[in-house]
Amino acid sequence: MPKCLVCYKWTLDEQDIKIKSEDLSLDSSRAKGKISDFDRNAIEEAALLVEKNGGAVDALTYGTTTVKQSLKDCLSRGPEKVYWISDATAGNADASVTANVLAAAIRKMGQYDLILCGEGSSDQFNQQTASRIAALLGLPCVTFANKLSYEGETAKATRKLEDCQEEVSVKGPVVISVLSEINKPRIPSLKQVLGASKKPNEEIKVADLGLKPEDLQPKAVRKSVKGFVMQRKNVIYKESSAADNVAKLKASLASEGLC
Amino acid sequence: MNFELTEEQRLIGQSARDFGKEYLEPIAVELDAKGEFPKKVVQALAKHDFLGLLLPEDVGGAAAGFVSYVEVIEDLSRYSAAVASIVNNHTIAAYTIQKWGTADQKKKYLPGMAKGELLGGFAIYEHGPTPGVGPDTLVAKKQDVGYVLNGKKAFVRNAGEAGVYVVFATTDPALGAKALTAFLVKSDAIGVKVGEKLETMGLKGCPVADITFENVVLPETALLGAVNGGAAISATALAVASVAEAAQTVGIGQAAVEHAAAYAKQRVQFGKPVATLQAIQTLLAEVATDCHLARLGLRNAALLIEEGKPFEVEAAMIKSFLARLGSKMLIDTCQVEGGFGYSETMPLPRLFRDIAGTNLLDAPGDFPEKLIAASIA
Amino acid sequence: MSILSPEQKAIQQTAKDFVAKNIIPIAAKYDKSGEFPTVLLEASKASNIFAMAVPKEYGGLNYDALTQSLVLEEWGYGCAGMGTTLAASILSMDSVLIAGTDEQKRRYFKPMLNAQIGSFGLTEPGAGSDAAAGTATAVKKGNEYILNGTKCWITNGGFATVYVIFANTDPAAGVKGISAFIVDRGVPGFTIGTTDHKLGIRASNTVELLLKDVHVPVTNLLGKEGEGMKIAMMTLDMARPAIAALSVGLAQRALDTCVAHVHTRFPGKPFPGQTLQFKLAEMQIMVEAARDCLHQAMRLRDEGVPYSKESAICKTFCSDVAMQVSATAVSLMGSAGYTSDLGKYMRDSKIMQIFEGTNQIQRLVISRAVLAHPHASAPSTAQKAGK
Repeated sequence: MPKCLVCYKWTLDEQDIKIKSEDLSLDSSRAKGKISDFDRNAIEEAALLVEKNGGAVDALTYGTTTVKQSLKDCLSRGPEKVYWISDATAGNADASVTANVLAAAIRKMGQYDLILCGEGSSDQFNQQTASRIAALLGLPCVTFANKLSYEGETAKATRKLEDCQEEVSVKGPVVISVLSEINKPRIPSLKQVLGASKKPNEEIKVADLGLKPEDLQPKAVRKSVKGFVMQRKNVIYKESSAADNVAKLKASLASEGLC
Repeated sequence: MNFELTEEQRLIGQSARDFGKEYLEPIAVELDAKGEFPKKVVQALAKHDFLGLLLPEDVGGAAAGFVSYVEVIEDLSRYSAAVASIVNNHTIAAYTIQKWGTADQKKKYLPGMAKGELLGGFAIYEHGPTPGVGPDTLVAKKQDVGYVLNGKKAFVRNAGEAGVYVVFATTDPALGAKALTAFLVKSDAIGVKVGEKLETMGLKGCPVADITFENVVLPETALLGAVNGGAAISATALAVASVAEAAQTVGIGQAAVEHAAAYAKQRVQFGKPVATLQAIQTLLAEVATDCHLARLGLRNAALLIEEGKPFEVEAAMIKSFLARLGSKMLIDTCQVEGGFGYSETMPLPRLFRDIAGTNLLDAPGDFPEKLIAASIA
Repeated sequence: MSILSPEQKAIQQTAKDFVAKNIIPIAAKYDKSGEFPTVLLEASKASNIFAMAVPKEYGGLNYDALTQSLVLEEWGYGCAGMGTTLAASILSMDSVLIAGTDEQKRRYFKPMLNAQIGSFGLTEPGAGSDAAAGTATAVKKGNEYILNGTKCWITNGGFATVYVIFANTDPAAGVKGISAFIVDRGVPGFTIGTTDHKLGIRASNTVELLLKDVHVPVTNLLGKEGEGMKIAMMTLDMARPAIAALSVGLAQRALDTCVAHVHTRFPGKPFPGQTLQFKLAEMQIMVEAARDCLHQAMRLRDEGVPYSKESAICKTFCSDVAMQVSATAVSLMGSAGYTSDLGKYMRDSKIMQIFEGTNQIQRLVISRAVLAHPHASAPSTAQKAGK
């Protein structure tokens, strides 16, 4: 009966973001919010684990004023309660600030057997939240999990690495970050959506976390975010025969390591 | 005045869109090509509570309200308007039973309808000039045993798949429409004969057929609402249905304009994407505008329905608007996609055929303009 | 409608009878299967209708423009897809009529005397409205041209005996480098590609044409090198009204079907009120105005008067009318319309607004004509100078 906690981030839906062609700056004025993709997998994984083993799932999120929009979305996906921190510092937080805040909150919230995160957020994709939280809390950390199970007090995970798969088992409280292929997040049924408003949420104020001002100062400062436009290579093969063109194309692709 | 959806409504819409992407998008083309009733999809819809969306919790419904309902229909229609038709016709039947049914009738039918085990159909139209009048009109003769039904109903959606039909018959041919009465008829009642499935231009997969009633004996308990109270019931139910159907039109139109815009951005003629041409911009802009205004109009009508306020005029307005401008959405987006878009390997032809099946003026004696004019003059 | 001569009335009636016997009974079947109605070509042999635009000296019927439009309206009434087959064959032969030598005309028109059809090959995947952007090439070698390229959306392509194909003899010269060629079916390297399944006019055959090192004799060049685009534009000008004629027939069919539904549903009086009645009146107004507009353009052509603007107007107006009338008919007839042949007329109408020059291109042509001449009542320096 594991007590699970899922940390999630409320990000902008990248589909709604437009890239201004003049200077490649981003226009996010019409972008709606969403739970970061991999975090959705983390929430789903926690919900599945609890459905199988019993126990309960809490959720925790740290963001700006928009974070309140995420609460019912989160609660419709399985968690029983969501803790939320809404603070201006989240606006330019780097991975260290995020981890400081989340770890401090977790210390306040209580003991969890499993703390789940997405492998990386859909906006920044630093992939540091899980390992930093684990370090701050003095807990083991398992990353790149694409399979997870829980028995007794032991978590068993399969890690997908670049050229192999690793089976890991960890006893006791552990922080795990999951890949998107670990599961397919449920489509909340209407009853689950409507049931979300009956579940509790609790605000945690940054001021109550006992953090020093420097803990909330980002060490990596974001200077600008620009769109990336894929430039076409526009290479035309004009050999006399189709066979020659294919040969040239093949050679070109091979030189780029593509075939 | 708040034009925004509530959080729940927004999340319900998100679920509907995700459902559409996962369950409808992969089957939409084949469903249109073969027209086979999508049983698995209907089961999945039930599992996600879409079939009981409007029904109260005590019968297993989600009680999510009408604004959520039209949001769902719009989102499903973006992927398959045919499936949205199945849901709409089922829901109108369930809504009618919920609103006018006795406690027993509600207990008998609604839990199954919420679970998707029992699909609903709504049998109002006839081949004659108006329900209650004409050679084949459905007549319900009062007898000792209850009522005996003889006659024909036309163009019943979900025909052959529904387990229960809300049927309108006249108890007195001399009085015609004035004696229209609603009944609940189970599909397995003796004498209920579903005719051959009709070939529709689009919305294929939602079956349409005539139903013949041959000495169908109904007990008193099959009466829905008051004797001769059918006209009022069908008027209200059809007004609700027209708002639901408007959501289909908007969903189809939205999908079409998005596809046409994406096409225009990459189709290069005269050295530039055709999206840079004012001619194309005009076509896209008009469709996007009509879609947007229709959405606002139908949401307003939906809110009135949800709040139990008078809504019939607003419902008639949205129907009138889309009867005039609904098909134009696809006439114009198909124009943007030109020759390429005319191929059935592209999606707009299916959407063109589907949208033409929404907002049909099925009651020629009762154009929406009549009700609108009556409200102001 | 124009006042028709007795001869024209007779031809119109013959066409009506032919359509009633040979097109209407099979239209639904071919719409469903998308098969090409070769039986129709067989049945057309006796009347020589596929040579209705061929001059008398080549064995054709030599119908004037107005008469041709009467025939095409009847075919459009019967089935717009089958009508398109006839219209597109005439489109292709119009190029030869405009630019062909006597010998070329003789060769090209001969198959049509036996109800064999022609095909006009201009469009390419990258060259739709931008017809000049085609990349098919024709390289001269000795007394031959070697053609390479891909054409798409080619009506009749799968069943034609003769083709007019446009290709670049001088790619560097842009528009002025395009030439027109007669190509015969069965020439090595000339392959018929995929057949397209369309929203409407399904009985009309629409295919890709693939040309790989197709050798054509120099005697197959139409006009001079570089005249191809000029020939294409003149051909389309001439052939546009055929689409207008099909559209008028289509619109009339939708209206007639709608009226028949009304009579069935409301036998005897009273009809269900002004709303329905007035919608029918509006449809009638549009169909009649469309026909008159078409006939006006045809009279100009028969008089030998320039009619480019009127050709564009009638194509635009008539196809827009067909789309409006057929869409209104479906809506008005409700579920009965949606489950009837009215759906076909609506599907068929859509392409009329698109092919042979989209209605947007037509509006460009028309607006240019409108803006080229100052308005008669606007004061002008020319007038003041006593011009």
